[in-house]
Amino acid sequence: MPRPYNSSTMTVNSFHKNNDELANSHSTSMTDNKVFNLPLSGVLIVVFAILYFATQANELLRQVVIAPGSVAEQISEADCRADELVEENLSLAECQLMVSSVQITLASSPSWFRSFQISSATLACIAAMLSFLIGFKLIGSATLSAKLARFSFSSLALIDILQFLAVLNTGPLLRAQYLWPLLIWLAIHISFLIIFLALNSSGGHEKEMT
Amino acid sequence: MTGLEESRDMERVSPVTVVLHCLLAVSIFFLFISSWWMLSLPLPSEVFTYRELPFQLHKNIGLTVFLFAVVMITTALSRKRQSKPGARTKLERLTSFDHLIIYILIFACCITGYLSSSYSGWQTQVWWLFNLPSWTNENDKLNILFSDVHIWTCWSLLAVISVHISAAIFHAAKNDGIINKMFRL
Repeated sequence: MPRPYNSSTMTVNSFHKNNDELANSHSTSMTDNKVFNLPLSGVLIVVFAILYFATQANELLRQVVIAPGSVAEQISEADCRADELVEENLSLAECQLMVSSVQITLASSPSWFRSFQISSATLACIAAMLSFLIGFKLIGSATLSAKLARFSFSSLALIDILQFLAVLNTGPLLRAQYLWPLLIWLAIHISFLIIFLALNSSGGHEKEMT
Repeated sequence: MTGLEESRDMERVSPVTVVLHCLLAVSIFFLFISSWWMLSLPLPSEVFTYRELPFQLHKNIGLTVFLFAVVMITTALSRKRQSKPGARTKLERLTSFDHLIIYILIFACCITGYLSSSYSGWQTQVWWLFNLPSWTNENDKLNILFSDVHIWTCWSLLAVISVHISAAIFHAAKNDGIINKMFRL
């Protein structure tokens, strides 16, 4: 039986069902394009949340490790021992450029950039965890706060926009590293945000997955 | 408890497994992404110590992943022993095989990483609390060997995880209730 859509919650039926019901649900899903596949959205949200968390946690680590005033700012000469080059399967040129790579990050980062990245990456990790829980709830339980989902994806999109604007105000070397991945994440988060906004605006739209 | 309820109860994955599965997924992807970045840092020397923190973190998360995987496989095996034997479909056998390969590759990645680290001569501090006992001397040849095996098992793990995630998306798209078992605490 169709249930009226509530702006703050989306309902999914219990997944405990017999085979006849399952067969029926498949035909409904395929023929009725108004049915929103909550488990599929949930799984995609969970997968993206895990990848986003890992990306932002790595950014946090990167900012902690490459600190202004560190040794690469004073010393350009890399220590490239022959045995280490063999171990790492590196050429001498590559080994020397590794120091340059750190110098690029240090030289192209304005003074405010590191503290901004540390704060925004921390917030991004928290927002990723929230979106993970939302995806988890979409798959596994009966109700989900649509408001919470909208808040979560708005936060993620806002963090992406702020990080994008911050990187725009750095030099071309950092822009080349950051802008494209940030744009992809922004596209992903805005897509999910629009889905939840569309569900909310469609009033009596049926969300029931049988 | 009716027979049907009992069978549903058996089908449900324990909350510990669900939480560990999530932690394992996050940890593994962090290990991949951070390792690609940390290997671009300057080679270690007395002056350049950029690799110290990322490598210690990598090793510690790896050790923790190993423990998570041990708990998960123990839980999975005990569930399997309790479950009633019955005819399994081709897809179920394939799923079991996929899980088995994932566990084998996780253990292989962790063990080869540990062996490579042991032969590298660098100490491993367990979450900055204590040093793991050193049981061998530095050996460049074995370090390179285990490092290569570590890299290839990790690439294989990434490939199998891609199949695993694809299967999860497939079941979610079909809405056949299988994915729901893994996401219920």
